[in-house]
Amino acid sequence: MEGDKRFWRAVLLALPLAVFAVFVIWPLASSFYYSFTNWNGFNPDYDYVGLDNFQKIYTDKLFYQAAINTALWMIAAILLPTALGLGLALLIDSSVPGSAAFKSIFYLPICLSAVVVGQIWVWIYQPDWGLLNTVLEAMSGERLRYAWLAKPDTALWSVIVAWSWQQTGLSMVIFLAGLTTIPEDLLEVCEIEGATTAQRIRMVVIPLLTPATVVVIALSVINSLKGFDILYIMTGGGPFNSSDTLAMHMYNESFKKYLMGYGSAISVVLFLIALTIIRVYFRQLRKVDELYG
Amino acid sequence: MARLVLEDVTKRFGAVIAVDAVDLQIEHGEFVVFVGPSGCGKSTMLRTISGLESVSAGRILIGDRDVTHVAPSRRGVAMVFQSYALFPHMTTAENIGFGLRLARVPKDEIARRVTDVAKTLQIEALLDRYPRQLSGGQRQRVAIGRSIIRDPEVFLFDEPLSNLDAALRVRMRLEIARLRDRLDATMVYVTHDQTEAMTLADRIVVFNQGHIEQIGAPVELYDAPANLFVAGFIGAPAMNFIPAEIEAGENGKANVRFGAVSLPIGREAAEGKVTFGVRPEHLSVAAESEHDFLGRVEIVEKLGAESLVYLQTGFSKAPITMRIPPELSVHAGEEIPVRVGRKRLHLFDAEGRVI
Amino acid sequence: MADAAVLPPARPPFNPWPAVIFVALIVLALLFLAPTAGVLLSSVKTTREIALGALWSIPAELYLGNYAEVLANPAVHRYLLNTVLVSAPATVASIALGALAGYVFAKLPFRGSNLLFLVIVSGMFFPPQVILIPLFRLFNAMNLIDTLWPLIVIHTAMGIPICTLLMRNFFATVPNALREAAILEGANEWQVLIRVALPLSLPALAVLATLQFTWIWNDFLWPLIFTQSDEKRTIMLGIVNLRGQYSVAWGVQGALSLIASLPTLVVFLFFQRYFIKGMTMGAVKG
Ligand SMILES: Nc1ncnc2c1ncn2[C@@H]1O[C@H](COP(=O)(O)OP(=O)(O)O)[C@@H](O)[C@H]1O
Ligand SMILES: [Mg+2]
Repeated sequence: MEGDKRFWRAVLLALPLAVFAVFVIWPLASSFYYSFTNWNGFNPDYDYVGLDNFQKIYTDKLFYQAAINTALWMIAAILLPTALGLGLALLIDSSVPGSAAFKSIFYLPICLSAVVVGQIWVWIYQPDWGLLNTVLEAMSGERLRYAWLAKPDTALWSVIVAWSWQQTGLSMVIFLAGLTTIPEDLLEVCEIEGATTAQRIRMVVIPLLTPATVVVIALSVINSLKGFDILYIMTGGGPFNSSDTLAMHMYNESFKKYLMGYGSAISVVLFLIALTIIRVYFRQLRKVDELYG
Repeated sequence: MARLVLEDVTKRFGAVIAVDAVDLQIEHGEFVVFVGPSGCGKSTMLRTISGLESVSAGRILIGDRDVTHVAPSRRGVAMVFQSYALFPHMTTAENIGFGLRLARVPKDEIARRVTDVAKTLQIEALLDRYPRQLSGGQRQRVAIGRSIIRDPEVFLFDEPLSNLDAALRVRMRLEIARLRDRLDATMVYVTHDQTEAMTLADRIVVFNQGHIEQIGAPVELYDAPANLFVAGFIGAPAMNFIPAEIEAGENGKANVRFGAVSLPIGREAAEGKVTFGVRPEHLSVAAESEHDFLGRVEIVEKLGAESLVYLQTGFSKAPITMRIPPELSVHAGEEIPVRVGRKRLHLFDAEGRVI
Repeated sequence: MADAAVLPPARPPFNPWPAVIFVALIVLALLFLAPTAGVLLSSVKTTREIALGALWSIPAELYLGNYAEVLANPAVHRYLLNTVLVSAPATVASIALGALAGYVFAKLPFRGSNLLFLVIVSGMFFPPQVILIPLFRLFNAMNLIDTLWPLIVIHTAMGIPICTLLMRNFFATVPNALREAAILEGANEWQVLIRVALPLSLPALAVLATLQFTWIWNDFLWPLIFTQSDEKRTIMLGIVNLRGQYSVAWGVQGALSLIASLPTLVVFLFFQRYFIKGMTMGAVKG
């Protein structure tokens, strides 16, 4: 029996583990290796340069800018869609008519790609005839012509708005799924004990949504770390690197300037950031498991 | 004084009438148990009293105040759910103090009252545990604790013990009885367990298909059921029902006849077809000369403190159940003489009403 | 009591909240729809009408020329075909591999399997940039740059973490007794997986099919790195590329975007019924 199990474990795990090891684990490890070299992407030859690349990070002003932007981006790109999605889920769950239609409308943008979303919002932010300026001008009566994406002050935030518009639907769907798992009798206890709507949401519903929240945050982190596409499409990291993130910076250094060694060093830093987030995440997950498991 | 009055209360779910024009008065301090088969509307009745369900028609008064359209939290009721309904993310103390926290009672007062309640229920050691770390019986106490801390006028229990194993159920039943004596509040308790109903209740309300069949003290329902339904529902094993006829007897009094048996009922009654009911404990194995009929033993169930005997007879298709002392030795296949106790004979007319 | 019963019962108080919530949702829905609606509107207008400054207004007449233009463009056909050739196999392969691994983690755990599971799942969190350069070097050495192979392989590999996670969570809800009963009947683990566990996990498959297909179809980074010639471009790169060709033809651009988004919309609508259920069982209750 146990021999059988061992055989099947090996058979079933062989392929997934092989693919994962060769195309994810191995490249991850190699990134570390290349970060100590000066490979340029074409030349088969390269030299070992020790910690040079990491020292360069230390003095790279653009890196700092990108790191700060990454932090801003991740915080906003996680908080906004999560909060909005939760709000929408709570509204829709209050048994309004047409809830199915609302769900589809809010979910729709998730099906669109970063390229398409980027294009839509580039049009919205367009200075001359964009929807945003058109509406603002109609309301204020003045000619505005504000170039949202071309001004360092607003470029990153404009992309964050577009991003939130796209991602909110996903959090909403997950929160809706979470709401269906809250036992009816717990809500009835709130009613009998006299909880106001606000108290019920704060003290009972949101805590009980913790498992859903964990999933939403995880997906938001994953998606926002990958949020390279939409920045690339909408601003390309500009103007003047004001919307550069680490992912964008790494791409530019590696594939525009062909400094693959330096790019690898940046990706190692990205990896370490991701690792920290994963550790925090799994610690949370254990806590959640203990209470709700 | 928290008198609970239901006037003509009806609750419909679409076409289903779950509670059908119920009138009921429960006095202050009374412990009333709702019993009835599954799906007869007990829970719905309780939930309309709590306000979790709105009534379709009728009025509900608590302490002479019309609460028909008052929010559940303003009715002065507390409810203990079958599933306990404890918040998984709150400790025992937080669960018990939940209502006080909602009402923004100061923290130290909450702590004091939670400790008091925990002492009463002997769960002080568990105050910092989460529901997942508690056993079924402990969870039940926490749920009860949450209901008593607010000093409600009316307690509502919906099958609170049905998720517990048999031994624990007996213990918790005693605790609830103790609580009942201590609290001086009105209590409504739903169960389908007869023993719970008989041991706890001041009065039992028997429900069937949304309406009340009979209201009365436990012994009253047992000794004088008002109809076939109550007679069959109360008592385990159930009362034997035998198709019979009333015929004229001596001194103008009537006899009941089934098969070859004719028993004096000691009073007058109109002649005609009836259902004759007799409880298993009122049948006994008799000396040869005193027996009323002979029955062939089909099965003997030895329960230790007593034995149940199922008899085949000529006058009843269903086997007749009798309760006998354990030391009497009776075997399957045997034919035994049976005597019917004369004092507790029940007769029901064609509509099932007691005669 | 008789006289009390004649009194009409007091009325329940009027509750304004449902109406307020409904109106709020309508407003939010309009806000959420506006961007997509704008593109839809632009796609049925002539370039002239748009150039006159009416990108966001209701079109004077329904003009389908933009769609005709896009659909007649052979480049678009190529882009769409390439994207299908990447998305379909990579979606299927990643779910299949995730199911294999998920089954072992759920039903055949071993010493250290939890740790291995965590290692695989953490793969979800790494930004793709982290493995970009080594993979570029690897596929370069294999002479596979500017083919679709790297895309299929990478999407399959990068999909393994989420697929394994969801499938494991789902398989965990399949009662052990079912597996044991099947084994007693003489089935082997493979047959249990195929005949018992998978049929019970259709919602999870629906969720994964939707998520994986959408991510892969919409991906931009990997094709940007691994394809160079127009022959091998996927649709998302194609849209960006065609922007030059249709630089002021906003309507054509809009039509192109919508056509490129159609497959993911269809997949979502198709699996929508299972989606929430799958999310509930596979993710939220995990
Ligand atoms: N929310 C509801 N919607 C529709 N029917 C219901 C609902 N609640 C109860 N019922 C119906 O009302 C009847 C009484 O149910 P219930 O009060 O739960 O019975 P009991 O508690 O005595 O078993 C049943 O027929 C049940 O199906
Ligand atoms: Mg019930």
